[in-house]
Amino acid sequence: MGAKKVIEVPYVVELPVGPQHPALHEPLLLKAYAEGEEIVKVEINTGYNHRGIEKLAERNNFYRNIFICGRVCGICNTVHANCYTRALEYLLGVEPNNRAKYLRVVAMEFERIHSHMLINAIMAEILGFDSLFMNMMLDRERIMKAKEILTGNRVIGDYMMVGGVRRDVDEVKRDKLIKLLKQLRPRVEYYKKLFIEDETILKRLVDTGLLSRVNATKYSFVGPVARGSNVRIDVRASDKYDAYGDIPWNVITYKEGDSWARMMVRWDETLEAIDMCIYALEHLPSDGNPVPDERRLPRKFPEGESYARVEAQRGELTYYVMSTGGVNPYRVKIRTPSFLNVIHSAILYPGYSIADLPVIFVSLDPCIACMERVAVVDVDEGRRRLVRLKDLAKGVY
Amino acid sequence: MSVIEKLNALKKYFVEEYIIKPNRRVYVFKSEDLKALFQDLIKVFGYENFYVATIVGTDLISEGKIRLDYYVNLLPDEVTVVFRTYLPRENPTIDSLIDIIPGVLSGECETYDLVGVVFRGNEFLKRGFFVPKEFVEQKIYPLRKDVKV
Amino acid sequence: MGKPKILKLILKNFVSKPATLHYPLKEYRVIKFPYEHTLIEEDARGRHYADLTKCTGCSLCKLDCPADAIEMIPIPEGYEAPKINPRKIYPVVNYFRCVFCYRCVTICPVNAYITTSEYRLASPESIDSSQLSLSTLKKASGG
Repeated sequence: MGAKKVIEVPYVVELPVGPQHPALHEPLLLKAYAEGEEIVKVEINTGYNHRGIEKLAERNNFYRNIFICGRVCGICNTVHANCYTRALEYLLGVEPNNRAKYLRVVAMEFERIHSHMLINAIMAEILGFDSLFMNMMLDRERIMKAKEILTGNRVIGDYMMVGGVRRDVDEVKRDKLIKLLKQLRPRVEYYKKLFIEDETILKRLVDTGLLSRVNATKYSFVGPVARGSNVRIDVRASDKYDAYGDIPWNVITYKEGDSWARMMVRWDETLEAIDMCIYALEHLPSDGNPVPDERRLPRKFPEGESYARVEAQRGELTYYVMSTGGVNPYRVKIRTPSFLNVIHSAILYPGYSIADLPVIFVSLDPCIACMERVAVVDVDEGRRRLVRLKDLAKGVY
Repeated sequence: MSVIEKLNALKKYFVEEYIIKPNRRVYVFKSEDLKALFQDLIKVFGYENFYVATIVGTDLISEGKIRLDYYVNLLPDEVTVVFRTYLPRENPTIDSLIDIIPGVLSGECETYDLVGVVFRGNEFLKRGFFVPKEFVEQKIYPLRKDVKV
Repeated sequence: MGKPKILKLILKNFVSKPATLHYPLKEYRVIKFPYEHTLIEEDARGRHYADLTKCTGCSLCKLDCPADAIEMIPIPEGYEAPKINPRKIYPVVNYFRCVFCYRCVTICPVNAYITTSEYRLASPESIDSSQLSLSTLKKASGG
């Protein structure tokens, strides 16, 4: 007597994480499929934060776009504005003077310091280590203050302009900035030591979310994620834009390729950035006024295309600007680092437990505001590629 | 430059060469050669020494074409080169690279959703994840020049 | 597992003063903490308004505002419009739309904008730059 009915029990449990979830601070849906505690597949669903910046940029003139691009993402606003501004400078054939270049580097490195401290603090919070989170955020205030002194605002700098920067620093401000940085350095060293020694942190971070060297380039990971997997890519070193060619600094790489290595890359870069800022401020050249007269800049841009790259905190950020002559750009294409890092991250999760999911996700330093001028759905890759979800549920794999 | 010398091995695919600002080399190729070109690129450089940084689709409405640029970063020097091709605007279709380079997934999906270039063989292409629902229903691609949003 | 490495820092924080400040609400004096507002730089980008004795009403700031926060409106009756302003219009910044990029300040051909470091936007009154701007003008005599 054969059974007439077969009751199918799904093999996997679907577990939506986000878009509003206590462990994820970004509007993103990670649809995790778990067998017991083990994640077998993650789908990344985006589209909760789309604003259509690229189309907006086509309708506004070149200069308004500097401020619009600066608002693609709050944390990395100066690098966005810098990248776009440099794309315009390539088109015009303008080059800022050395003082402006040094000041740009200082502004961008300030941003790197506060961004890296923020994501490390958030990582501590995700691990359940709230007192560490609070302390890091307290020390991060110093760099926010430094940014306020330099640019006039704590977060959104609006510091870049074609042909230079929008504010100069005098001696008093410069000494204040150096003092703040020198106060911050021992604190960062202390937190780095905590991340190396504290068992709570090590137990959660080491060997989670392993990314191999070959997958890092095959799946186009950029920034600290790639550098944590021993890929030596850094736009600051290869393009040497602004004053990065003059200031001594090192590219940080780690061999481990796990979440811990990514966080350590960030700590080391923070220390490098502090040293770079101190060097740049102490050796600030004085070859003229770094602030261009915005009223005298050309309104119309010549025909042409340019492609600027910048090393944002999260990785390589690129702007493609095409001009057909006139006051508006014909096409602006923004490719942010999170766009690659988050969307391709589906390969990192399988094999780890559900509790590791937020840890791996945060170790990528995700920024949905950056990423979602677009939104895409990802399906799993690699080893389990041929096993479709429907087949998994039916059990016919 | 050694990287550029290595690229000479792929010379048979290139129709035209020029430079866009500041110093990115552009290699124009025929759209049907895409897969062969990238297969040779993998052979010459290996998976570990390049990555596809950006895919840019631009609607050139006056010429009736859609231009597709693959910005590839060649390691270890991080030289950015551009592989450029043109597709007809009425039926922009090209082979997908997803089976050989999985890193193009985000770029291909974005270009499909925004500009409407169809990548043959990419089963993950989907409308409506980035554009709002009404755009999907009206079947418009927001970055085309004739679309008003 | 040894003792947590951060323990010393936590114990130190137990005895130190709070690091945060209370927002200065003058009427609400229940909690006994010092009411200071956050000290900011004097040249931080805060509310800005047009000095109508200098403004020529050229509308360049309105055209270049990335947030479309500036509107050109006629100078109301009862105020003496200066002769340099033939169209008798002046810019009003809507502070709720404004992103405080100061593009209008730097683009102004006659440097008419006055900047302040007033960053607090919470206010019981309507909040744009019209009152501040008009305060730079004289009232028309006998009007």
